[in-house]
Amino acid sequence: MAAFDIVVIGAGPGGYPAAIRAAQLGASVALVEKEEMGGTCLNWGCIPTKTLIASSELLAKIKTASAMGLRVENASFDYAAMADRKDQIVQKLRNGIKQLLKANGVTVFQGSASFQTRNRIQVEPSVAPGFSPAHAALKDGATPEPVVLTAGKTIICTGAASAMPGFLPRHERVVESRAFLNLRALPATVLVLGGGIIGCEFACMLAQLDVKVTMVELLEDIITVIDADVRRELRRHMEKSLGIRILTGVTLEEITADDKGVRGRAGQEKLEADLLLVALGRKPVTSSLKLENAGLTPNERGFLDVDAYGRTSVATVYAVGDVTGGPLLAHAATAQGLVAAENACGQYKHKNETLVPNCIFTTPEIGTVGLGEQEAQQQGRKIKTGKYPFSALGKALAIGEPIGFVKWVADAETDQLLGAHAVGPHATDIIAEAAVAIRSELTAADLAHTIHAHPTLAESWMEAAHVLMGEPIHSAPPRKST
Amino acid sequence: MVKAVIMPKLGQSEETVKIVRWRKQLGETIAKGDIIFEIETDKAVLEVESFYTGTLLKIVAGEGETVPVQTTVAFVGDPGEPVPDVALAPVAPKKAEASRPAPAAQVGTQIERKAAPAPTAAAASAATPTAVEPQLFRISPRAAKLAKESVIDPTPIVGTGPSGRIVERDVKQFLEAKGYSRIRITPTAKNLAAAKGINLLSLAPKEDGSQIGVADIERLLAERPKPLSRMRQIIAQRLTESYTHAPHFFVTVSADVTELESLRAERKAQGTPYTLTDFIVKAAALALEQFPTVNGTSDGQSVRMRNQIHLGLAVALEQGLVVPVIRRANELTLAEIHTRAQELTVKARASQLTPAEMTGSTFTISNLGMMDVENFTAIINPGESAILAVASGSKQPVVKNDQVVIRTMMKMTLSSDHRLIDGALAARFLNSIRKSLEEKSLWQRLT
Repeated sequence: MAAFDIVVIGAGPGGYPAAIRAAQLGASVALVEKEEMGGTCLNWGCIPTKTLIASSELLAKIKTASAMGLRVENASFDYAAMADRKDQIVQKLRNGIKQLLKANGVTVFQGSASFQTRNRIQVEPSVAPGFSPAHAALKDGATPEPVVLTAGKTIICTGAASAMPGFLPRHERVVESRAFLNLRALPATVLVLGGGIIGCEFACMLAQLDVKVTMVELLEDIITVIDADVRRELRRHMEKSLGIRILTGVTLEEITADDKGVRGRAGQEKLEADLLLVALGRKPVTSSLKLENAGLTPNERGFLDVDAYGRTSVATVYAVGDVTGGPLLAHAATAQGLVAAENACGQYKHKNETLVPNCIFTTPEIGTVGLGEQEAQQQGRKIKTGKYPFSALGKALAIGEPIGFVKWVADAETDQLLGAHAVGPHATDIIAEAAVAIRSELTAADLAHTIHAHPTLAESWMEAAHVLMGEPIHSAPPRKST
Repeated sequence: MVKAVIMPKLGQSEETVKIVRWRKQLGETIAKGDIIFEIETDKAVLEVESFYTGTLLKIVAGEGETVPVQTTVAFVGDPGEPVPDVALAPVAPKKAEASRPAPAAQVGTQIERKAAPAPTAAAASAATPTAVEPQLFRISPRAAKLAKESVIDPTPIVGTGPSGRIVERDVKQFLEAKGYSRIRITPTAKNLAAAKGINLLSLAPKEDGSQIGVADIERLLAERPKPLSRMRQIIAQRLTESYTHAPHFFVTVSADVTELESLRAERKAQGTPYTLTDFIVKAAALALEQFPTVNGTSDGQSVRMRNQIHLGLAVALEQGLVVPVIRRANELTLAEIHTRAQELTVKARASQLTPAEMTGSTFTISNLGMMDVENFTAIINPGESAILAVASGSKQPVVKNDQVVIRTMMKMTLSSDHRLIDGALAARFLNSIRKSLEEKSLWQRLT
């Protein structure tokens, strides 16, 4: 039996940074992973999708390059080659994590963890593709057998998986995001079920690769969690520029799948496609953990509740990332992982950050952080907003992407910046500045008075702050109320 | 025809009444019997009904204002009718003024030309308890501007200018001496502090060395003392007086209410529901007849006996506590006690008790039986000599005839004023109540 100060379950973006941080703080650390290093983010989420989206967006740019004075003829793509590139990048990053863990002295166990008691964890060996079949911690040639680890503290980072409700037919033409990424060729037509973030990102990518996409969403609009202005702008581009058909406020019923394709009915209309891509949200991964042996009970939605310090209801067990609910974002999990590791090692006592930027890799991109306009109003706050369109910004015109806008939401009384919303070119990059400003409790005046380099896309934040203050330089002044 | 709405006289003691809320707005149509406004007296918040039908044409006394009884507070009539020009009665403005923003000009005529959100007088005094006589405070415009921009209170600064006037360098020296540059605060938190009149120098630095943020200022604002509601002030004043003047002592008994509860269930099934409180009221009334001293009151010099038994029932409300009175409880049948107690409780919860219904009790019962408590003690209602605190009934192992049996036991604690009541009397009185409650045949007769 091996004893560790800290046992981290799950090597995703929450788990592996937690393991590294704990090791840096002098703890003996075991990291248990049943599949691949890097978890959903690296293997079946952020990284592979962004790799494919980079290809699809470049293709779309090439196709419209004549507008920028370039002559590129007969642009086309090879999806298998795109997928290979994706796999290479993923493999490279996985190896990077393994080296980092090794360099920091973290002991990795390849297997599936379950609690025997709150501080005894059994690891059932698993064989992951691309991994040597032995425990990484065992000597070469040893037969993999279950091992039991004793843990001072445990950090659960087991993440979440795509929800696949029971009404969906089990067929190879019905896939969620992870199975989709294993495809080596693209279908001609795709039906996307669910208009959330994952559904929209895939829909945009597929549309740019000439796939005919129809999206069906039960709610009244796509990505209802974000600011309504931003949503409207995205939907307009998805429908007008990318030719995606979006049906909202309807359910997809009578879904069937066979070797010829998938079919369903949305309202009165019969829909048909080569593939059904299911993006109906994510559910936490806890079933194999035997949580009850540790005295833990998931909440009614299946997630593990934690307090502001990352602690579960059991004193020695922490949990971070998707398995705790919350924003289901890799960067949130990483931040929480570091906090949990530091708290578990007892050298610091930190609370989890609550301000989490959200980046959506649709076309156009979206970056948001803090309160949306409607959200702020629902909280009964008095707010001011300032919006600046990229069509008025020199840099956006220069790079040929004058679409979308940035928008500030600020408190009407204290001028505090409460929320920032960007839709348009590099929106996911420029949101970083807004996150710093909001966390530092800067005011709109502070932002407006900060010199922003010209010509850049980030200037838009300064211009929008000027608009918010009612003194815009590069747009028409507000109408005087009579 | 325009009719004046008059503040009603509510009882003997009320000279002035505070208007808490107007339920009707200017221009709104009112029917006779509509609730037109709410008032707060010493004991409760009450609703006032309109005697007239018409349109609310003018409000003379606004929310938060205190007016003498029987003065005009509003006018009702037909839309467009001319309204007499009546000023608010003189008692009101004094109180109302305190909550208005302090005119900036008071601080010194040369201070500010451009208006800024002036802190309210209450806010400013909470943050800067060292308010100075306005006439004596001399400060140059530049110094005042610097103090304002720094979000500090300039009043403690010693001026070195002509006639002790504070000049800019005084403010600068003051800031340096007070370690102003070491204050770490986020821009929004500073704005908020300025808007709410909080002196940055009064803020303690954060323990972990991080910046003072919006949450810190908001907590400070939330923790500022605010006046208690009139009801709570009255509760505080009366109970403090009682607890400090009347030497309290406490006697507890445990009553076996097994039989009483089964009888109560029986009667309920027969369609005549009683509450446990009804029985306790009756038992207390019987005991008070037997021990009239407990129904009397004393100031330590004289004793006043009262030959009528008026029982107060403590009723918990969200905003406090009221004690409606069942008058001449000893003369009422159990059914009458039940009806009266229900009426008073419903009125109490709806804030509709009149002052007359809340005064004159000679003994009080506080029943926390519904709140799952083992036992508690109560503070004597001023003007009385004892109060009965009734806790929850619960099944307990009890020794009866040398056998352990399960019985429903209920603890009652009598708080007595030792100036008038001694331990032996308290014990006899309390046991008389206990015996009544345990006597099934008595209740079979009375129900």
